[in-house]
Amino acid sequence: MATDRYPRLYHKIEAALQDRTKSDLLRGCMKRGRDTRAAALEALPGGASFRDDVRAAKERCIENLPRLKQQFIERARQRGAIVHEAATGAEAIAYCLDLARRRGARTIAKSKSLTTEEIDLNHPLIEAGVEVVETDLGELIIQLAGEKPFHLVFPSIHKMAPDVAEIFSRVTGTEVPNDIPAIMKVVRQYLRPIFLNADIGLTGANVGIAETGGICIETNEGNARLVSSLGSCHICLIGMEKIVETVEDALLMILAHPVSASGQLPTNYVTWMHGRSPLGEGPTGDDRESHIIILDNGRSAMRDDPEMREALYCIRCGACMNICPTYGVVGGHTFGHIYPGPMGICWTAGVHGLEVAGDFAQLCISCGLCKEICPAQINMPQMIAEIKHRDAAATGHLLVNRVMMGADRAARLGSATAPLANLALASRPIRQLLEKTIGLAAERRLPPFAFSTFMNRFAKRVSRVATPRRTVVFFVDVYANHNNPDLGLAAVDALEALGCAVIVPNQDVSGYPYIAYGGMDQARRIARSNSDKLAPWVRKGYEVVAIEPTATYALAVSYPNLLRGDENARLLADHTHELFEFLIEQEDETGFHPPADLFAGRRFGFHCACHQRPLGGGSGAIKWLRRRGAQVELIETGTCCGMGGTFGLKGGLLGYDLSRAVGQPLFDLFVNSGVEAIVTESSVCSIQLAEGTAMKVYHPLELLTLR
Amino acid sequence: MDFDFTSRFEKLSGIVHRVASPAAAAEKVAQLCRERQAGCLALAGLEPELTAAIEACCPAITVLKEPYSRADLPAAIDRATVGVTGMAFAIAQSGTMVEVSVNDATRLVSSLPRTHIGVVREETIIDHYADSGPLIRAIIDSHPEQVVISFISGPSRTGDIELKLTLGVHGPEEAHCIIIAAPA
Repeated sequence: MATDRYPRLYHKIEAALQDRTKSDLLRGCMKRGRDTRAAALEALPGGASFRDDVRAAKERCIENLPRLKQQFIERARQRGAIVHEAATGAEAIAYCLDLARRRGARTIAKSKSLTTEEIDLNHPLIEAGVEVVETDLGELIIQLAGEKPFHLVFPSIHKMAPDVAEIFSRVTGTEVPNDIPAIMKVVRQYLRPIFLNADIGLTGANVGIAETGGICIETNEGNARLVSSLGSCHICLIGMEKIVETVEDALLMILAHPVSASGQLPTNYVTWMHGRSPLGEGPTGDDRESHIIILDNGRSAMRDDPEMREALYCIRCGACMNICPTYGVVGGHTFGHIYPGPMGICWTAGVHGLEVAGDFAQLCISCGLCKEICPAQINMPQMIAEIKHRDAAATGHLLVNRVMMGADRAARLGSATAPLANLALASRPIRQLLEKTIGLAAERRLPPFAFSTFMNRFAKRVSRVATPRRTVVFFVDVYANHNNPDLGLAAVDALEALGCAVIVPNQDVSGYPYIAYGGMDQARRIARSNSDKLAPWVRKGYEVVAIEPTATYALAVSYPNLLRGDENARLLADHTHELFEFLIEQEDETGFHPPADLFAGRRFGFHCACHQRPLGGGSGAIKWLRRRGAQVELIETGTCCGMGGTFGLKGGLLGYDLSRAVGQPLFDLFVNSGVEAIVTESSVCSIQLAEGTAMKVYHPLELLTLR
Repeated sequence: MDFDFTSRFEKLSGIVHRVASPAAAAEKVAQLCRERQAGCLALAGLEPELTAAIEACCPAITVLKEPYSRADLPAAIDRATVGVTGMAFAIAQSGTMVEVSVNDATRLVSSLPRTHIGVVREETIIDHYADSGPLIRAIIDSHPEQVVISFISGPSRTGDIELKLTLGVHGPEEAHCIIIAAPA
């Protein structure tokens, strides 16, 4: 059972689900991050296209990293910096301890640095008798509270003003009032002597520039400026992946980072530090030094691993956290080790070990939204799938995940035994037994199986197109085949009505659940099989159409990434379409005008499935409905409905419970929207939305028969 | 110009003053000091004429200026209520003043006092953020040893408590930019 396998994770999820205050706060924080980002992109010339530039720059810089690192070291040394390469965290710590000892340092002032957290630099220094003070306000609050950061950008977001006032009353010994300006005054007074008297200033760096041998440090509070100018000795700990080639690359990163994190352009302060400047004039004997420690700590191995390499493109903006559905409910204390969130799974695997990452990788529901918001377009969903795969290779897959991966086999059995299977699935005792034995959520109302599958019925069907304009290869998903053949046939009708002949050649299921749960060998096998089976049809000039967003996503997005460089997969991806995007194209090509009053006076709320986002965000279906007179509103929270494909079909905390908690804000939006029904193209989202809202949920094609 | 420096800098809680000449800039500094009842004013990275003009305008105030004696730092600058630094150029799109320093005393002048005033010559304001690359490269290349370039876009800020924007955490609470009009 999953509870036995992940007892700590379960305990944490349970606690997080009960703490509504925290998750409401976190949700607000994340929403603000997404909203400010969106607003900043509006104002940015080229909008989100900077992501292409960041991606290209990171690809180039990581490809040339060994050379760029050497160049950076040489030029930094020319400017008088002392550069040290640390292969491990322990080595970096030893270097800092030695330096602190040699200089007789009593106080170290730090400005926020995740890389120092990665290697846990503070504790050994404190044990050696050095006072280490975090000067970033959020980090300081966390340090004084003896906790861990809750969110990457807002580490202390779960601390309200009274909590913070109480913390500072305790450390200063004077009563601090509850209002923020008063707290700020106290913080300023508390930290100023630390800034002025620190022996060593310790910072991270957001960028290292090979061309100039300099580093960039971004800050809003200005603490990094003080930390890097006041102490006689400055230490910068920089992960090697932060090194870029040129000044222009650096400009791009210091734009992309704050824009993605919080919609800023750029942060209030950016320090481009080159060498160590003197402080004031006067007799020399200056002991001002600048030490740059370049940290490897598993990064080289990540770079050499084709499945993990893209993790090095991360610029630590936290955008993936701001959109991740499960992170948004459970937070960084549950969803993370030191690095939190989706990217945290990848980085934890790279620097803290696979087993540590495997502990919380199960929180990823493979919705893929992180990849869509990432400024470097990192393919996190696949990387996380790979981590689940490697973790399972060591410890085996959870039974319930194996069940979900084999859902198509269950569906085949379900159709073959439809009347019995449907009775069983509708029986409470049987469902409770199934939850206990295989982990299928007893609360879920599952769509019944059809005895006569789409495949059976299509085989008997006679084409209604005498002289086809073009031929379409129809890709059939499990739901249309085994649960809702009428829907599949309605799609065929719609295609034929526009003069397209439809063929359903030999094909496999899309295999996406294998990616979601980390069954990478099977996922690759299915991707290859489908690519090889379907690419020949594409070569004949046929286009491929699918109706389930996740199936379309598998063909159009996942396969070429699973089979890098495979020509068939690339060809299939380039010629795969969502049904409605394709229907709209055909309507335009043929000049077909549907009856414009078909849905006159009807108001629908449209739900876009996560896997549709990179495919056009449901715009095809919305257009199709509006052409027929419907009023359609896109209703969204900006993240997933919580179903996560089959994730929400699983029982308990790592399934149904968490899935419902993620979905609740979206349920509320739909219920309060005043629309008459919900329209979505995803079969699994529709299960979740129907249960969560008690509203009617339709596939657009179902509206044709239900007028 | 596609972008307006003033409106962008103000959006970031900065305050912009446009003046006609260096003499008027010195007057503006003196006025800001009087309004803040500043007893001590620190200057760095300004043209010598402007430094002299500011001193002349502020007879009742202790004016600290370069060269700063190592022995007095950082305490001397920490006592200043207002700090004024000269800017190499500015970027309209991002509302950024660009300060160049070869001595960290300059950075303390723009980060320790509660009020920071940056002085920008209008002709050095560039439009697009992305066009700052060659200027930055030229500055870095002309200093083969140490140099620090500081982008300053408004006052010190945080949202760490309850996501509420709060100014003046460690650095200045007020960021002013005095723009000296380009000679006609």
